[in-house]
Amino acid sequence: MMDIMLDIFSRRLVLVTGKGGVGKTALTAALARLAVRRGLRVLVAEVVADDQSPSALSQALGSVNSKPGEEPVGLIPGIRGVLLTPTKGHLRFLQDVLPMRLVADAAMRSTAVRRFLAAAPAFSEMGVLYRILDLLRQRRLDGTFEHPLCIIDCPATGHALALAQLPAMLLQIIPGGPIGKAMREGLSILTDLQQTAALVVTLPESLPVSEALELSQGLRGHGVHIAGMIANRVPENLLTSEERKELEEIVAKQGPILGMRALQRRDRAHQSLTRLQKEVEYPLITLVERIEQGPILSETISRELDEY
Amino acid sequence: MNTSADQNTLRDLIRQKKALVCCGPGGVGKTTTAAAIGLAAAREGRKVLVLTIDPARRLAQAMGIDASSSNLSQVDAQRLKEIGINPPGELHAMMLNPGAVLDSMVKRFSSSPEGARRIFSSRLYGHLANMVAGMQEYAAAEALFELSSSNRYDLIVLDTPPSRNALEFLEAPGRLSKFLDERVLHFFLPGTARKWLVWKKAGEFVHGLFARVFGQEFFEEMQQFILAFSGMFGTFRIHAQGVRALLTSKDAAFLLVTCSEPGQKEEAVFLRHRLLAMKVQFAGFILNRSWAGDETALPNVLLNSTSWLEKLEVLAQEELRHIKRDKEYLDQLRKETVPNGIIIAAPYLGMDVEDLKGLQLLVEGIFAKC
Repeated sequence: MMDIMLDIFSRRLVLVTGKGGVGKTALTAALARLAVRRGLRVLVAEVVADDQSPSALSQALGSVNSKPGEEPVGLIPGIRGVLLTPTKGHLRFLQDVLPMRLVADAAMRSTAVRRFLAAAPAFSEMGVLYRILDLLRQRRLDGTFEHPLCIIDCPATGHALALAQLPAMLLQIIPGGPIGKAMREGLSILTDLQQTAALVVTLPESLPVSEALELSQGLRGHGVHIAGMIANRVPENLLTSEERKELEEIVAKQGPILGMRALQRRDRAHQSLTRLQKEVEYPLITLVERIEQGPILSETISRELDEY
Repeated sequence: MNTSADQNTLRDLIRQKKALVCCGPGGVGKTTTAAAIGLAAAREGRKVLVLTIDPARRLAQAMGIDASSSNLSQVDAQRLKEIGINPPGELHAMMLNPGAVLDSMVKRFSSSPEGARRIFSSRLYGHLANMVAGMQEYAAAEALFELSSSNRYDLIVLDTPPSRNALEFLEAPGRLSKFLDERVLHFFLPGTARKWLVWKKAGEFVHGLFARVFGQEFFEEMQQFILAFSGMFGTFRIHAQGVRALLTSKDAAFLLVTCSEPGQKEEAVFLRHRLLAMKVQFAGFILNRSWAGDETALPNVLLNSTSWLEKLEVLAQEELRHIKRDKEYLDQLRKETVPNGIIIAAPYLGMDVEDLKGLQLLVEGIFAKC
């Protein structure tokens, strides 16, 4: 029994990150389910281009009734979901810095402003980060946080890193004004050990392992606490070395047999896992490969995560 | 096997097109696929350039790319011969360095050396990639434009940048030219006289807004920067249109690379819709790392050993599951493709493709099933 999950659930912001296709969405959903079982109220969020984008998280959770939009909605009991779009963040930012709501709305309608914000990736990232800050700040009438735990399914390798780099980078470009203020706030949350943690997910394959190690280094370089790394979909090691040897002799004589490709795949997975185990500097969670999908998968993984 | 005369095959594409674009989400193996298509085209006797942004180190070395430079490289004729490529086929590769492409554009298109110096010395120039969306994609488009207008190659195979939005590459030039639209830019430029009061008012509103949001100091700095660049915007726009013209012409075709991971089918279908909406020629899907293929039989000798049988059974079942999954996916892709669209299964080789031999195996696997 380790305490990686305890560590994670004591934060307010959890970034689930890694290369595309490593299973971040299912893991985000699984973490949220586990948090609910432990009595927490969770907001899961995914970064998308616009509010028309499909929600992978709602599928992974098996939410049938509601589809998340730019405002949080309940997906399944205890879990709310929201789409993080740059536009919503820009609007919230402008509403906060401009004297009147009307001016902010007019600004968002202005072609020049819209195009300018769309032309600069730093501003897209800023919109997303600002929206995260905005959601984390919201309080209920009784003074408690509306979203005590926010788990973010980051879309691609670069994204968590881009978010982590953003405040420092924008502060270099625009040190003053409201943007500077917002970025200083963003920086203080992202690098606050008490508030933010990242989980870096990888598959046991050579390129993803290298990228995950680089990503965790990059995140740490920007002061983001890494709660752990997850080696996802690790196949079971099936054959003893004697059995392997025998098999190789048979194959040498008889040619390939059904299952050899599967065996090679497992071999490669274990080579990569060994390398990860050797080089990783954080607690490592190893999750076995499963054939389940969708809500059953996230439920199964959440039981497995409970062990950590 | 295709029999109908107007049906495309991958061979037709690599023989006839001038530009083949491999798109798809990150992690599906676009770079490897692009390299394999390049190799296949060289084997067909074409002079081909593979243009890539972020190759894995070893694959880059195999293609003769020096990762530290953005120079063109050519795979040595002797090494090509070893893998079955004879003249006139040539295989070239180039790694795109967006910063270098931009530097060279500024040098070439600035109105004066003084103007170029002003841009290079600006504090904002170093942050340009962060300030202008799709700079990497724009550089890729610009490089494609330059290289294709040079007529040095019969075919350019482009591996699109690994952006969050897999089609960013197509949209970046358009978006940039929209942004560079004078009607938008003049809001940022200082002291532009305007005839109409309504424009003047709108300009004042935006000026005030930007100064408020970004701070007066940064706003003025940005105005100076845009002013320094403004002489080049015309050229940027013309090139953006040129790229668009090439990519929507009959000389170009787009292939969507996908793989059998959860969620990839939805992604592939979504991207196909987007490609069609952009009026480019969508040529078909490539299923990378495909297990679909002939099942081999278990040798009898093993059937006597019970402990073995169980374990091999697990492996065999796993392989069959992969095969079934990929066959089903290929069937679905057949339904999702366009008339005459091709479906290619690039086989799972059980290893990382990181040298020319590996690429050659991949090419042979691709054509064995075409």
